[in-house]
Amino acid sequence: MFHKKIAILICTLILVVSLGACTSNNQMVSSKDSQEAVNTEYEISFIDDMGEEIKLKEPCKRIISLYSAHTENLFSLGLDDEIIGVGKSDIYPVAALKKDVYDYKSDPEKVIAAQPDLVLIRPFINRKNPDFVETIKKTGITVVSLYPDSFEKFDDYILKLGKLTGKDERAEELLTEFYQNINNITEKTKDIEQKMTVYFESSENDYRTVTLDSMPAKAIEYAGGINIADDVKPIQEGSSIAPYGIEKILENADKIDVFISQRGVMNAGGNYHSIIIRPGFDAIKAVQNDRVYVINQKIISSPTFRYYKGVREIARMMYPEIFDNIEVYKSDDKITRREMAELIVKFTHKGIYVPTSKYYKKPHKGHTYGFFEDVKWTDKYYDYIETAVMSGYMEGFKEDNKEYFYPNKTVTRDEFAKILYLIGDFKANNKNTKILDLDKAQNQKIIQVLVDNNILECKDGYFKPNEEITCNEAVDILNKIKDIK
Amino acid sequence: MRKILMVLLVAILVIGSFTACTTKADSSAKANAEENKEAGDKKVEKDPNKKAILVVSFGTSYADTRKVTIEACEEKIAKAFPEYDVRRAFTSQIIIDKLKKRDNIIVDNPTEAFTKLRNEGFSKVYVQPLHVINGAEYDDLVNEARVFEEEFDKLVLGRPLLTSIDDYRKVVAALSEEMPERADNEAVVFMGHGTHHDANAAYACLDYVFEDEDEKNVFVGTVEGFPELDTVIKKLEKNNIEKVTLMPLMLVAGDHAQNDMAGDEEDSWKMILKGKGYEVDTILRGLGEFSKIQDLYIEHLKTAIEGETH
Repeated sequence: MFHKKIAILICTLILVVSLGACTSNNQMVSSKDSQEAVNTEYEISFIDDMGEEIKLKEPCKRIISLYSAHTENLFSLGLDDEIIGVGKSDIYPVAALKKDVYDYKSDPEKVIAAQPDLVLIRPFINRKNPDFVETIKKTGITVVSLYPDSFEKFDDYILKLGKLTGKDERAEELLTEFYQNINNITEKTKDIEQKMTVYFESSENDYRTVTLDSMPAKAIEYAGGINIADDVKPIQEGSSIAPYGIEKILENADKIDVFISQRGVMNAGGNYHSIIIRPGFDAIKAVQNDRVYVINQKIISSPTFRYYKGVREIARMMYPEIFDNIEVYKSDDKITRREMAELIVKFTHKGIYVPTSKYYKKPHKGHTYGFFEDVKWTDKYYDYIETAVMSGYMEGFKEDNKEYFYPNKTVTRDEFAKILYLIGDFKANNKNTKILDLDKAQNQKIIQVLVDNNILECKDGYFKPNEEITCNEAVDILNKIKDIK
Repeated sequence: MRKILMVLLVAILVIGSFTACTTKADSSAKANAEENKEAGDKKVEKDPNKKAILVVSFGTSYADTRKVTIEACEEKIAKAFPEYDVRRAFTSQIIIDKLKKRDNIIVDNPTEAFTKLRNEGFSKVYVQPLHVINGAEYDDLVNEARVFEEEFDKLVLGRPLLTSIDDYRKVVAALSEEMPERADNEAVVFMGHGTHHDANAAYACLDYVFEDEDEKNVFVGTVEGFPELDTVIKKLEKNNIEKVTLMPLMLVAGDHAQNDMAGDEEDSWKMILKGKGYEVDTILRGLGEFSKIQDLYIEHLKTAIEGETH
């Protein structure tokens, strides 16, 4: 196996050398470099996804990343100062917003002037704007083109990013953690007898799904689901999109338990409303049972560590009784705001909020996604906190134009009343129960309605708005309002 | 030869000036220029008996709300004017493209619609926009129509819903039939789109007319203009309101109504009002569904046909 690889390497070298001999100066230079690669003085040496031999003496320190997944993965590896520029649509994590923006469609001189030691691109950019890439290369700047076109190549891709940046160990750690996370999900669903059958929509034009080796199809598998489209072929070689068609969907109408639509790209799947109103779709089991969901492609089709969240989301869509079970949060401890966020996201079965690149193009009056100073994007509660706030169920705080969530603070009965009111639909019944300490509460109208509706109770006429609630109390009260939401 | 060159030059200048001063209509102006050339070659004979009504709206990709709003208006117009050929145009190219690609439904933009009507030999064309205010989209439509002014014996535009003071009163009367009954502590809040255009004053005016017509506790706010939701909330507080019913002041109950008004989103009107302790109900019906609003568009069209505007 190893010999074979060396043989391929040598063949490639010969090819590069012979090509270099008969073309431009530029390639002559690269052929000389490749000869040197045989000597092992290079610390970093591999072939990128355009077949280019990459050889570097030391890890890169000034990186311009022109693809959102690369950018996200570099941040995951723990880099920040080393990232001096990002692409136009790179918005995750939020730290990417602070970087200078470069565009492969515009003048390469801007990139060159920033004096990066590495420009990270993907083959798509090589194809779309070869001149841009060549101009940068000519100045001697290392350009590396990477894209794992199947999930199997994800590890190799991450390890290359690790090598390039001197974060080899971190890359391996992250991969181990990543597969552990996915395995935990698979473990939880493997013994389910009644497996859910899923249709995954990748485009609403011509009712397209995804190929069996695509990341979303794998995610359905990892999450313990059955993909109804198990006999599809790619629309063209190498594509993860596969035709399926309305006839086949409707043929299987009574088998599709869960309908998942991928959004967030051009020509993506439909949104909830557009799906449920399609002619004939009322025959689909998932539509009848209100099991139509939308997922952002960033967490299900993009080669980043966020993919495990996509797997987790699909698991939540299929098996809410396992993954959104709120009973597991029962304890006598006082509940914190971050735990509350997780609890109510699960209680409401809200899909985690994932911003699109358009999101930051306009200012947001209330909360801006990712802007909490005290909630890191790597925090395990991050998605729950953002989702609870983006859905309007919980509030953040603004101080000196900075946003805080105070994740470790406990939750008062006053605050909890407001959360309950926001996630449910309660009607005033004008019972006007006498509440002796109502004047001490912030949310007086809300507390009155909830007490009148017997959702929250008073003791001897006192509501005690400033008392903290426990996990047990929170779960019990949520169970009470299950039917109201 | 020199003559041809001159014509070409003029044509280029004309096209140039169009592309320079239009933004949204850019691509359609180009398409129009191409088709102009084609038709120029053909020179279609105008038929004095061929009369058309073009019903123009922003459009929606949702078939359910389209059926009960835009299509319902078109059908009612067709019934009221049986001697006219009734056509449809959408101003949103994004929606036109989406419908074509996804549903294989072909909808013209106004320029395409005008071009077709001309090529088919229509002599009289009346345009009824289903717009709510005389805003930027209405201006765009006027500009697009102007290009074809010479092509028809008559090309007249009807006015949007809220134009004359009489319109405002009639809209208030039409909506009063659709609003829920309100106790002293209950209000109806309409959500308009709002605009940077000076026609934005229409929303505050409508709010005023509701009051003038003694429709108590009815307030108008906008997503992108004035009055803002904060302004509305001040009025709710002043009037000791405890329950609010939200209704869209838009032709169709599309994404704005579903998300900005009634969605579980931190900046939706429903969530902001609930957070302040109001009991909130939402009515997801577009203006185009209401029979008396449809009648008002027909009235505007009649006025246009009778030659009282433009």
